[in-house]
Amino acid sequence: MPVLEMKDICKSFFGTYANRDVCLEVREGEIHALLGENGAGKTTLMNILYGMYQKDAGSITIDGHEIVFKSPKDAIARQIGMVHQHFTLVPTLTVQQNITLGLRDSGYPFSRERARCEHIDRLSDSYGLKTHSRALVKNLSVGEMQRVEILKLLYRKAKILILDEPTAVLTPQESDHLFAMFKQLKAEGCSIIVITHHIQEVLDHCDRVTVLRDGCSISTVETKGIDAKQLSTMMIGRELVPVARERQNHHMDAPVLELVDFGFKRNGGKVGSVNLSLRQSEILGIAGVDGNGQKELLETLMGLRDHEKGKMVCCQQDISNASTAERRLVGIGYISDDRHRDSLVLDMGIAENLMLRPARSTAATQGHMVNKQCMLEQATRIVKEFSIKSHGLQEPMRFLSGGNQQKLVLAREFIGSPKIIIAFQPTRGLDIGATEFVHNQLLAMRSAGCATLLVSTNLEEILLLSDRIAVIHEGSIMDTIENKAVDITRIGLLMAGVRTEGAAR
Amino acid sequence: MEPIVVVTTFFAASIRMAIPLALAGLGESISEKSGLLNIGVEAIMLCGAFFSFMVVFSTGSFFLGILAGMLGGLSMSMLHALLSIRFKANQTIVGLAQNFLALGLTSFLFLMSFGQTTTLPSTKVLGDLPIPLLSSIPFIGQVLFSQNLFVYLTLGCMVLAHICFYKTDFGVALHAVGEHPIAADTAGLQVHTIRYIAALFNGILGGLGGAYLTTVKLGFFQENITAGKGYIALVAVILGKRTPFGILGAALVIGGAEALQIRLQTAGTGIPSQLFAMFPYLMTIAALLLTIGSAHDPAALGIPYDRDKR
Repeated sequence: MPVLEMKDICKSFFGTYANRDVCLEVREGEIHALLGENGAGKTTLMNILYGMYQKDAGSITIDGHEIVFKSPKDAIARQIGMVHQHFTLVPTLTVQQNITLGLRDSGYPFSRERARCEHIDRLSDSYGLKTHSRALVKNLSVGEMQRVEILKLLYRKAKILILDEPTAVLTPQESDHLFAMFKQLKAEGCSIIVITHHIQEVLDHCDRVTVLRDGCSISTVETKGIDAKQLSTMMIGRELVPVARERQNHHMDAPVLELVDFGFKRNGGKVGSVNLSLRQSEILGIAGVDGNGQKELLETLMGLRDHEKGKMVCCQQDISNASTAERRLVGIGYISDDRHRDSLVLDMGIAENLMLRPARSTAATQGHMVNKQCMLEQATRIVKEFSIKSHGLQEPMRFLSGGNQQKLVLAREFIGSPKIIIAFQPTRGLDIGATEFVHNQLLAMRSAGCATLLVSTNLEEILLLSDRIAVIHEGSIMDTIENKAVDITRIGLLMAGVRTEGAAR
Repeated sequence: MEPIVVVTTFFAASIRMAIPLALAGLGESISEKSGLLNIGVEAIMLCGAFFSFMVVFSTGSFFLGILAGMLGGLSMSMLHALLSIRFKANQTIVGLAQNFLALGLTSFLFLMSFGQTTTLPSTKVLGDLPIPLLSSIPFIGQVLFSQNLFVYLTLGCMVLAHICFYKTDFGVALHAVGEHPIAADTAGLQVHTIRYIAALFNGILGGLGGAYLTTVKLGFFQENITAGKGYIALVAVILGKRTPFGILGAALVIGGAEALQIRLQTAGTGIPSQLFAMFPYLMTIAALLLTIGSAHDPAALGIPYDRDKR
């Protein structure tokens, strides 16, 4: 008998379905993957199970009893626990306070700190989840925060554990370690639901998989006897064509961008420092676990933050202290990882968003005046060229899909053929089709001679596109290697801050 | 008067001035810790002052009067909570509107009850309650232990609040709800319930602060009797960084300035009294300037929590 059965679950937000007749069945003692693209409804489904959202229709059965959860409190009482993709920890509380938050154990209402810490330490020892129970959460690394989140579930004796994209913040080695721990839990009779969009992860570590697409459940299969191709076809509804990256010789070229002991302020008062050089027609990938200073580095490169020390030289021009506008005029384009916050004005239309560039005079402007007709013509051309789907040029950006929004960002940054593109997680939150488009556009720019600094926490993306790979850890570059028969283990170790001499392992 | 007597009475007066600020400030700090920004402290205090006066005037019972003061404060804080939590209104605007509402409402009800009178209706005030033995300690006995019931009550509340904030699960829950409501929710806490409870305390304590003005300090009510004390209490919350003893300290500093300016006004210095009246507010601004940058507001302060928001 399954421990959990979700039947014909429907949920809509503002008239669009996030889940439509979704069925999920989880057995005792299995690792069950929930596979699907971004926006397929995986997280929504799990939030319904966890009591965060109320379902519109359908039924949930646990151990044969139909249940209705009004809030996570009810779910926790039925031994369900969930680790959200964006961790739900209070930064200003200690690890112990976060783990025991909302619990009524012996001694309530007084906090019995010592007994609780001892219990946490015991748990962390027996599952290999290293943490400091008295440390403040805001001082933890992302990996440790995840361990705290998992401890939170274990402390609450969860039998069904839900993890939303748990490997997104981990190095390959840490991911293996995580799944090893899941196997231990599985042996103790727990059921684990892992939300993911990485097919390999499903094949390597999970027992069964339920594939979601466009809010519907496509099917549930055993991972034994299925291959990556079949899974990806189920996931995206067609076969995936890998992008091709032909090799180019660029070693002779002088660098277009050079960072010499380039120091930048990191969040939390730390300082990072990097040395990098970027050549024409090259994609330099920077791999690393999220939160190792990537965002701060790129924002400093764009002049959004003051730099600490060192030099940034672009085409023999020192632009260390230049303003953002000056940097853009030199020929640097920037694709942020958060297009809603950094790249677009969501309530303006396509044409207006395309105007958000510091160009002294473009086709669409004469002096300080906007030539509306030219502006619209330019927008029409770009919409066609980048096949952006919208209901007209005046439609506010917020009503476009993520993929179309990102296409517009790309289009705007590529106008006037920049010399350098700084791309930070350019495919974050995009479906596979849009991801392919972005990848092909970046490769096309490379062929056109543009130098690209690609920063991503997705190692697959880095391996796919980069000519050279640099690994960032705690704000500094661990090493830079040619992307030729790379040893993933070595990159993983570098991501974790371990430098190995010569051959890895 | 001997210098020691002057000093003793000054300190005793400072404490009495600080009481309403400390009580209302403590209530507001509980509310703010949970993420509810209620700038309507003035309204809470005014209602507390009015209703406690009315009940003491008509029944003669201080117990019922103080109870009525708490209920008056509660009516305002719970209205604010309902609008901010259930209807997700802008908390600042609601608080502001309530301040004007309470001003108009209490003045109107007062006029309805007594009409235009030349002599203000008044009641007797709650007397001092010296604590045996302790009150005979030199200086400290005079300053601390020969006071009225409210002073002891306030000190007791501060200690209880300190224990609650830093030693109990409720304190941690309060902090979590104000700092990261989603985390609190996923941990199984009822965010809205905790915020309502915080508003409850805010109303009770603010109402007590208001009741103190009419039933202990003055014995009468008049239009706008709080005269901005609710706003000053808000300052005490920020100065005291939302810690019970911090707020008490801030209230004592401001209360001391108040006591000082009254003494200076009557000292016959020839300087216009309005200048002295400004003194507590100047102190407040100076103290705020000194603490700039050191404050940490709860991250979710003033932001309604909506689980379904995507």
